[in-house]
Amino acid sequence: MRSLLHALVLGLLGAGIVHIAVLFLVPEFSERDAWSRLAMASHLYKMTRLDAEAGGAPVVKSVDPMFYAAACRFNLADGLVRIRAPGDVPFWSASVYDRSGHNIYSFNDHNANSEKLDAVVLTPAQMIDVRRDLPEDLQGAIFVEAPIEEGIFVVRAFVPDDSWKPIVSRFLEQSACELQEY
Amino acid sequence: MLKTVSLTLLSLAMAIGLGGGSVWYALNAQDGVGAIRIGQWTAFPEIGTEGSDPYSKARVAREGVLALGRAEGLSFVAERDEAGQPLKRECAYSIEGGYPTARFWTLYAADQSLGVIDTGKARQAALQSYEVLRRPDNSVVISVGDRPAPGNWLLTAGFGKMYFVLTFYDTPIASSTGLSDVALPRILKAGCHA
Repeated sequence: MRSLLHALVLGLLGAGIVHIAVLFLVPEFSERDAWSRLAMASHLYKMTRLDAEAGGAPVVKSVDPMFYAAACRFNLADGLVRIRAPGDVPFWSASVYDRSGHNIYSFNDHNANSEKLDAVVLTPAQMIDVRRDLPEDLQGAIFVEAPIEEGIFVVRAFVPDDSWKPIVSRFLEQSACELQEY
Repeated sequence: MLKTVSLTLLSLAMAIGLGGGSVWYALNAQDGVGAIRIGQWTAFPEIGTEGSDPYSKARVAREGVLALGRAEGLSFVAERDEAGQPLKRECAYSIEGGYPTARFWTLYAADQSLGVIDTGKARQAALQSYEVLRRPDNSVVISVGDRPAPGNWLLTAGFGKMYFVLTFYDTPIASSTGLSDVALPRILKAGCHA
């Protein structure tokens, strides 16, 4: 009887340890996280639609049905990445995520210098280099300093009603995500 | 000998079964650590940030969520009506009240995975604040159900569990200090199909 009790207590204790271990290992080993899903859908530096509108199941879930979204993966070890999109939509917002899907920085169209989306994501070290000699065409861009290498850039745009669908689709299709030389 | 082996196996089975099962349960529960409740609405303002708790981090990794940033917006989810009953797709509801400050908001009826429910019609199970009719005091009354209703109508269809997802975009309440005195609309059940 005593040994059974002993085994039960050990089992509960072990359950606690396993609980904590599994909890911390899930983010490390998940093959269903946003990065992995995007990697299955497209290459680095390629804007990919996240909503179901583009055909097939949505790549990343929990996108508002009244929103269209697109994302691209980047690796800052290759250089800085520039994301651009033309304006003319009622609302857009953008977020930078790290490899494990944590939101590092976000902004929306009211934070931008103009209605256009023009953002550069770079590491603090690259920022120092770029500041030294800021290229002419980067003058109006929003600089997002991110202490990461791999990451995801997401653009979301509001679709108030059906008549906006083609316009918002075009906004996302014309958005570009490119490795920038400096 | 056999007794020792079986007791060891019991301990191991308990540890792995309970340990794994409890994580699975905790990750599937809609409530959880870091939740902020306002009336029937629950939000996770910390989810998807570097400072979130391990449960939120595991949930983000497992479900492939890319959570809205602070400058983007904040989502609230409701799974029960004012009387504490779970929301059902076969029931009609009325969502009434005022909304906190935001550039705009969207409201949609969702299934278990928090994706919008399929109505089988051209009309989506979603509404947004630019298209709703308001009362003189700026509050909004939304009728939810599968029968057309005057005023603001949120179409639903089918049977089973339902959630309401209310998202505010470009809003000061996304910074946690603003969440203390926010009032959200009430969810009242109007009736159910037998």
